[in-house]
Amino acid sequence: MMSTHCPECEALIEVNEEVQLGEILVCPDCGVDLEVTALEPFTLELAPMEAEDWGE
Amino acid sequence: MEGEGILQATRLTTLVGLLERYSPTGNEAEAVAWLVGRMRALGFTGARVDEIGNAVGWMGAGPYQVLLLGHIDTVPGEIPLRLEAGRLYARGAVDAKGPLAAFVDAVAQVGEMPGVQWVVIGAVGEEGDSRGARFLLPHYRPQMLIIGEPSGWERLTLGYKGSAWVQVTARRTLAHTAALAESACEAAVAFWERLKQAVLTFNQGRSGIFDQLLATLRQMHSDSNGFEERAQLQIGLRLPPGLERPELEALLTAAANGDTWLIEDFIPAYRAEKNTPLVRAFLAAIRAQGGRPSFTLKSGTSDMNLAAPAWGCPTLAYGPGDSSLDHTPYEHIEVEEYLKAVEVLSHALRGLASIFNDHSGNNFA
Repeated sequence: MMSTHCPECEALIEVNEEVQLGEILVCPDCGVDLEVTALEPFTLELAPMEAEDWGE
Repeated sequence: MEGEGILQATRLTTLVGLLERYSPTGNEAEAVAWLVGRMRALGFTGARVDEIGNAVGWMGAGPYQVLLLGHIDTVPGEIPLRLEAGRLYARGAVDAKGPLAAFVDAVAQVGEMPGVQWVVIGAVGEEGDSRGARFLLPHYRPQMLIIGEPSGWERLTLGYKGSAWVQVTARRTLAHTAALAESACEAAVAFWERLKQAVLTFNQGRSGIFDQLLATLRQMHSDSNGFEERAQLQIGLRLPPGLERPELEALLTAAANGDTWLIEDFIPAYRAEKNTPLVRAFLAAIRAQGGRPSFTLKSGTSDMNLAAPAWGCPTLAYGPGDSSLDHTPYEHIEVEEYLKAVEVLSHALRGLASIFNDHSGNNFA
């Protein structure tokens, strides 16, 4: 298991070794989307937000 | 990279070659032939013009297939190619020859990878009836799909609104204007007003543009044969996810009040899943180039709306360029951004190849 804290609410987040770089997790406490930005050390950042845009 | 020598730079040959060949919808053949030759020259395993006129190039043998689907046609309005302050101005620079050229250059840079086939397609007709993409649907079944549309080098497009065209016709027997009977023109205007009200009601509680129904009155026409007068409206609709044809038909029927309407084209919205190996590969690639990735949902429509639901595989749209320049007289692409996007694509494709090799047998959905 690997663990770190949610950058938004400090909740402890534990994942198994199969987690992938770029995977998007949901914080079980605050519900925010988190992106796995590094595996060694296991690092989470707030996932990109979805913006809206005109055009194709 | 500054100065006129930029146009001769090897890393820009694909982009410049496409931009030099003006290819509005229906007149893509010269650009298609050039791109096929360019892909062969870059070492693609094969390249050809398919039966509908698309430029198709492939690298590697699979069995896993990543399809990079761009379009080679542009809206009309030629903008001669010119370089100004590191920007290339030309019709199609962002929509969408920049993204298509970046696909070709990235695949050439990555080359053959075990277990994977890269397929790059410059589809015809995207700015019209999407005949190029429609032709592809029964002929391919890729494991991953990347649509070539401008998102900016740090952004990934996850969805496009749908679209519909509706023709409304109101007919009334001619009456003297002193008779105070409703005219066909008044009936058509009343239809439009009722539809606008229905759209407002539909959008209640929907805060984002992507989730709203948008209606625009595009054309009005009226005529008479001496006995009957007729008024017609052309209405364009931008559709949110989840709005299917029967619901739109119900809205139109309620607004019609006896007058007739016809849905001439209906393309549903599409919103891609963001927690996929494809998205992960791009997030890592953008970060590796020093960028901060973000997601976007577009109010327009692209070939993603057709291809993604048909193939049911992980999908996103990516490409250099500012989509607010789409269809404008100021269309241009930043050379440095183009080169960044090629690097992001190359990094992402290498990441996908390793995912395929690590997880052979999965469906990646």
